[in-house]
Amino acid sequence: MSIEKELREELRQVADSMQCPPELYGRVRQSYHQYANDKRGRSPMKKRVLAGIATVAILIPSAVFASSYLADDLFGSVSTIEQHGGTQEDYQEIEGMLQAAKGKLTEDEFKEYQELIKQLIQFKLKITDEKGVKHEEKLTQEEQQRYEQLASKLAPYFEKINKNAKP
Amino acid sequence: MKDNELLSWLEKAKLGDESAFQLVYQATHQDVYRTVAFLVYNKQDIEDIVNEVYMSMWRTFQTYDPNRPFRFWLHGITVRLVQDWKRKTWRRIRLFERNRRMTCEHFDWTDKAVQQFEMQHELFSLVRQLSYKLRVVVILRYFHDYALEEIADILQIPVGTVKSRHHLAMKELRKRIEMTGGDAYVH
Repeated sequence: MSIEKELREELRQVADSMQCPPELYGRVRQSYHQYANDKRGRSPMKKRVLAGIATVAILIPSAVFASSYLADDLFGSVSTIEQHGGTQEDYQEIEGMLQAAKGKLTEDEFKEYQELIKQLIQFKLKITDEKGVKHEEKLTQEEQQRYEQLASKLAPYFEKINKNAKP
Repeated sequence: MKDNELLSWLEKAKLGDESAFQLVYQATHQDVYRTVAFLVYNKQDIEDIVNEVYMSMWRTFQTYDPNRPFRFWLHGITVRLVQDWKRKTWRRIRLFERNRRMTCEHFDWTDKAVQQFEMQHELFSLVRQLSYKLRVVVILRYFHDYALEEIADILQIPVGTVKSRHHLAMKELRKRIEMTGGDAYVH
């Protein structure tokens, strides 16, 4: 037998006897997860996943207690938002945001937050036409000031909610 | 393994699809492991490198040339990482410490199975004694069946160099066989 042929034969035989240790799979998988998570963290996917989880968490109970929508307090009903270029999904998203806030804030904080949001949304509805386009010039100077104040009062709440929302 | 299938799995795995990752792993891990184990002898190092090969697969997928076979790309990554590993100085420090330990504990080479094979397979044990530069050519040529030009491509060295290393490796093997008394392969 030629040395080349013998080499091929022996290498193949030895290779057959070398088994990749099964525990290595766990390790490679862990690295893979790390890679996948790093990648996700860099993209807006993470936010979407969080929003998705919040929405799903809301949809399940809200299907049972259809009347207990927090967003109904703000808008009255879905049709209000639809008249201003919003969709059912937008509504659910706002609902999800409110539910998340309810979970993260204390009762008093949430009341205050809800009140501020309500005012903010009234402004938003006022400046948004039926196609969803914003016209900030519709507000008087006084209203604009009030609008900005609201936004700055709400900022710490948003910060708190978003901070806690991260796992 | 079919290249097309593998590539679509790999693409999905890159985007975070875990079941696609499993499929890629299942289809490739023995080949990757064996290739590394032929080139590096310490069990811990082999596993480190195999792990890095997979990390590198996700990261460098965009460099894959679809006109070439998948295994060619895979072996390119594998050999490159083995070489990186050999180059890194911090590993040398670890090696130094390990050698010190080994003088007390004797061998902690790869598998018991490999040791046994070395006794039964004289030629293989001679391959293991070759220097890395010669050995990698032998493995790519006789285990993976690559042409010398392809080996040059994988190792990123001139074909002439591959030819001379191949020649030297075979000469060395023949010489050692002669020394150990066997003359069956000498021509």
